[in-house]
Amino acid sequence: MNTSTDTQSLQIMWTKKKAIHAPFGLISENFRNRELIFRLIRRDLDSRFRGPLLGYSWAIIEPLLLALVYSFVFGIIVGRSDPLYPAIVMIGVIGWSLFARCLTGTTKTLVSNASLFQFTKIPKSVFAISNMLTNYFLSCVSLLALIPFIYLNDISIQPTYILVPILLFLLSLCGTSLGLIIAPTAVRIPDLVNIVQFLARVGFFLSPVMWTYSMLSGKFGTGNFLILAHLNPVIVPITDMRDIILGQESNIPLYGYSMFVGITLIFYLVGSINFYMRAHKMVVGL
Amino acid sequence: MKVLTLENIELTYPQSRFEKKKGLEPSSIGPINLEFEDSEVVGIIGRNGSGKSTLLRIMGGVFPPDEGKVKIAGTISLLAGVGVGFNKNLTGLENTYLYASLMGWKKVEIEREVDDIIKFSELSHHFSRPIRTYSSGMKARLGISVATAFRPNILLIDEVLGVGDASFRKKSERRVREMIDGSGTVIIVSHSQGFMMEICDRIILMDQGKIVDVGEPKDIYNTYSKLLKNTSLD
Repeated sequence: MNTSTDTQSLQIMWTKKKAIHAPFGLISENFRNRELIFRLIRRDLDSRFRGPLLGYSWAIIEPLLLALVYSFVFGIIVGRSDPLYPAIVMIGVIGWSLFARCLTGTTKTLVSNASLFQFTKIPKSVFAISNMLTNYFLSCVSLLALIPFIYLNDISIQPTYILVPILLFLLSLCGTSLGLIIAPTAVRIPDLVNIVQFLARVGFFLSPVMWTYSMLSGKFGTGNFLILAHLNPVIVPITDMRDIILGQESNIPLYGYSMFVGITLIFYLVGSINFYMRAHKMVVGL
Repeated sequence: MKVLTLENIELTYPQSRFEKKKGLEPSSIGPINLEFEDSEVVGIIGRNGSGKSTLLRIMGGVFPPDEGKVKIAGTISLLAGVGVGFNKNLTGLENTYLYASLMGWKKVEIEREVDDIIKFSELSHHFSRPIRTYSSGMKARLGISVATAFRPNILLIDEVLGVGDASFRKKSERRVREMIDGSGTVIIVSHSQGFMMEICDRIILMDQGKIVDVGEPKDIYNTYSKLLKNTSLD
């Protein structure tokens, strides 16, 4: 029975992965598994919002309450009387939370799904991307909390509002890509997960959540420090979202945008190659 | 006709820094060369930690080998870790879809089998309830019902028949026998000698990540007994 023609229908199951294929390979393997990604997003959303009485409203209530608390602390106690300050803080909270959740979620994606990876051949990146899209969706919903501020402050809605979801998407991609760089190593060095979680807390204060870009440039002018500050990839998108939503003139220099796009692209290239080449091996026997 | 071949397969488990520091030898399997024919039932036996489950995972495409090639004709599915991936807040039906998707099945394939899954699990009244309300036995029933609902060309089974109560275990065993009759090729890891002797055409004996012997079930179990005796004498 074992003739050479019999074996012709056999296909090789694993072929060596090439780094050059990683950036597109990651996209294509996730596109092929879009049905599962949709289910994982539903699972994550349902686990978070199905139990509570207010359900999905929590996606709006949470940033709204946070913004009110921060505004109270910094507006009344510190003495900022800008009526737009709660909206400024809320946009900062939404942007920063998205970046931080994508970063921390992706960093621990291999560890938290370890038992599943012993039984399924589903690409590991599917879980990172579903985490990214879940948080992206929640952030988009959270933006609805800004409607009362827009209405109360007579801000006219502009066509440029369409750029806000795009900026949020880039933010989520940036956080996820950075997580993809760290995730395979975090499997063998679990301290990395704790370090990233700590940095995410510190990053809250180093990012324009409670302060603004104009405060930064006002304090440090246009010198080297400001250029250096743009290495924080959340500064440009959060500031730009504020400018768009609140109808203000953008004073971010062109190099700021270039640095944000460049950093995101570098993170994606390095992250996709690192994850694509190493993730499947790191989860063996976890 | 050959449906699955393994050529010079080798895999070494990654080590933690702690294991490296202690100078511990990494666990590994291989080199392994095997061929499986269409419609045969093959058992894999060996002591705990001999590499049976790892070998099954390499065949199933779950673990990539460091060296060698796995060649396959048709679809392959690994039946292991029943119920891993369930979410306690989702209903039985939602978990059915989620779990089957994680096993790699498409929505249209799941929809075709969902009625059979509900019927086989005998949980029809509970399917719309979150599985946090299920007992562990009910979760096991749901898991095995989903896992055994699909018919790949090559079925890999890793010790999943011990779940649920006695009557459900018998039912599961019957189901696996049906799958064996309906599937092309079955490769099974089990510690149940009676079951393996009854269903397997041949058996592979593994020890310390290597294949010790392959042959008729009776002969291989004799070799296995000797291996166990020698090991206990050591």
